[in-house]
Amino acid sequence: MTLEIQNISKKYNRNKYGLKDFSITIEKGILGLLGPNGAGKSTLLKMIATVSKPTKGVIILNKNNIVKDANYMRKQLGFLPQDFGVYPNLNAFEFLEYIAAMKGIGGSNLKSKIEQLLDGLNLLDAARKPIGSYSGGMKQRVGIAQALLNDPKIVIFDEPTVGLDPEERVRFRNLISDLAQDCIVILSSHIVSDIDTIADQVAVMKNGSLLSYGNQEKLIKHVDQKVFSIIINKEQLGGFKNNQIVVSTSRKEGMLDVRYISETPVEHSIPQQANLEDAYLFLTKRN
Amino acid sequence: MKTFMSIIKFDYLQRTRSYSFLITLCISLAVAYTFVPEPNSSYSTIRISDYVGYYNAAWFGYVTAIMTSVFLSLVGFYLVNSGIKTDQVTKIGQITSATPASNFKYLFSKVFSNFLVLSTIVFIVFVMSILLFFLYNDGFPFELSQFIIPYVLIPIPAMFFIAVLAVVCEVLFKKYSVIQNISFFFLFSAMVFSTSPTENQFVLDPFGTKIVIHQMEESVKDILQVDEQTSLSIGYVLGNVEKPKKFEFNGMSFPISFLLSRIAWMLLSTILIIVISPFFHRFNTKDRLKIIGTTPKLFHKREVKEIVLSNLHKSEIDYGIFSLVKTELVLLFRKGKRWLWIINLIGMVLLAIIPIEIAYPLILPVLWFLQVHRLSEISSKEIYHNVHYFAFSSHKPLGRLLTSQLIAGITMILFLASPLLIRSIILKDFSSVGFIIMGSAFIVLLASALGILTKGKKLFEILFFIITYANINKIPLADYFGGLAHSSDYIVSLIIGTIALGIIGFLTRRYQLRK
Repeated sequence: MTLEIQNISKKYNRNKYGLKDFSITIEKGILGLLGPNGAGKSTLLKMIATVSKPTKGVIILNKNNIVKDANYMRKQLGFLPQDFGVYPNLNAFEFLEYIAAMKGIGGSNLKSKIEQLLDGLNLLDAARKPIGSYSGGMKQRVGIAQALLNDPKIVIFDEPTVGLDPEERVRFRNLISDLAQDCIVILSSHIVSDIDTIADQVAVMKNGSLLSYGNQEKLIKHVDQKVFSIIINKEQLGGFKNNQIVVSTSRKEGMLDVRYISETPVEHSIPQQANLEDAYLFLTKRN
Repeated sequence: MKTFMSIIKFDYLQRTRSYSFLITLCISLAVAYTFVPEPNSSYSTIRISDYVGYYNAAWFGYVTAIMTSVFLSLVGFYLVNSGIKTDQVTKIGQITSATPASNFKYLFSKVFSNFLVLSTIVFIVFVMSILLFFLYNDGFPFELSQFIIPYVLIPIPAMFFIAVLAVVCEVLFKKYSVIQNISFFFLFSAMVFSTSPTENQFVLDPFGTKIVIHQMEESVKDILQVDEQTSLSIGYVLGNVEKPKKFEFNGMSFPISFLLSRIAWMLLSTILIIVISPFFHRFNTKDRLKIIGTTPKLFHKREVKEIVLSNLHKSEIDYGIFSLVKTELVLLFRKGKRWLWIINLIGMVLLAIIPIEIAYPLILPVLWFLQVHRLSEISSKEIYHNVHYFAFSSHKPLGRLLTSQLIAGITMILFLASPLLIRSIILKDFSSVGFIIMGSAFIVLLASALGILTKGKKLFEILFFIITYANINKIPLADYFGGLAHSSDYIVSLIIGTIALGIIGFLTRRYQLRK
């Protein structure tokens, strides 16, 4: 199974692009999409999910152009949008039945499958209550359940961990790893820790363009031997930030321990082991 | 004061920058164009016996001001009666409620914002009335004061009253939009049809139109040399074959009591806002009910489960639309409060027992109108509830989902009409049966097409109100369900119109999906 995105652009007006000449080939496994807000992650995911169409370019799934044949993708797609709603007067069970009907899923096993999903997401006790009374995390879990209704082969999760508590996040990561055995899973986030533990491949985006794509080791090579830490005082921090990419700061005995990225380290700096977050910040902030 | 002005300004900008407001403005312009009929047209708007005024500046100014006051009071309420609800949906209300702004300040800013929206439309109509004067000019001189005076004294205070009424209804009836609709419907009818025979009672007319109409009637009586009541028609009266005679109307000097009453209406409206301010919910509504209180076990589960993909049942393909229709019906029936179905049931009982001459032309359109909040979002609820990502990435959303919505809507509307349908079948009145089915398809397709076009529900709500109001007044052109006798041409036109609505809705949704 291969998903090829070839030179797609999304143009909003003469000068504004949501995505510009974006190309990537995605194989089975987990692709983590990283990028700051406004990078074009959701725009890309909506186009893959056939909700939106590219102004230019094609998206090929198993040699089928899904820009023209959207239903080919829809039959095997599980999509959790970043910002989705529910019908508050339906309960979780009815809502999932409704989504299943929209996806063209039915049969005698449907009810038990919905029960399995709700049970696995710890929603079975509340399944008969109107979704309007659910918390944000519960709604998010209903969203996850609907994405799995049709045994999808392509699963798209746009900022999926919003509203989930730490325990739920761990369970969700396990689920994604399980899904990735047979599917293409695309996961977007601007939180690096959501991606770094599970993604096989990582794509970093900014301003509608692809900055870098590859496995984590490849990305981290961008900042190899460029990450340092230094102890400075509070007053120096402002000037320091103007000249270096600061990754993090922490307090240490009245001073500040600053982790930063630089080609030419400041005197008295200590080299550090680079990680994905360093690479992400380096790629997105260097320009 | 600065924060107060800011709330008004941004609320006004937010509303007027919407697509639905643009459409409302266009419709207002089109309607305003008809306020003073073209000299050779076969309809009239204000006519006293066989008389209309000479087409001078006063006639244009006063007639358009009267028509604006009545027409915009009718539809304006529906245009602005969701300002607080919008703040609730967009969560702006929760932010506002955490600021030091008092209930009165917030509500009054909403009143002003409503008033500005309505005044914008009044201004557009005002400009149109001047253009009409130059378009149909009979050689009379242009007098700007004959336009400004009636507009300032008649529709502007009326719009303020409507702006207040919309806020009051939102505060008192909160989420019960159907009660707002019904209450206003009856209140408006009562205000329009109440007579004001004496000059003192003109002050009780919030629309400010009756004093001018009275003056016009007196002018005609002087010509006819009679004391008895003249026949007055206000609104769109079609089929005037005979050309009307002309009388001279040069405006009027308003008595001081009337002028004071216009200010008093605005002051009283403001006091009303002060009175209801303590009852404003300040967005402390029950968004999440029961679940925290009644099912604490959800948050303290001992056994935490996970999805095991290999254990999940395999899904089976089923491209039928029965499940979709079923859920669409559930959504329609559950919309609004359950006890409101008692009103529907009463309507259905009335359809079954009262004389068919009343049940068919009067009860049926009102009963269908009571479903306005259900129908208005029949094909736009995906967007309203932010479910469109699921809906539009589903399998064949156009052919399956849209069709299911239409089938569900027509089924519900026909269910409500079922007592009348059964009576008609028993009486072997199959033309009525056909007409009712056609009417149900028309109104559902109209709701769907307008919902898809505007991505909202306001336009349909306003239009459905006007249509129902016209139905009650037995205006033949608005009869979409066969309550009045019609020629075969009319029936063919209705069928073509219904099909056209279906095509418009279908093509627009297809365009939206492709985009």
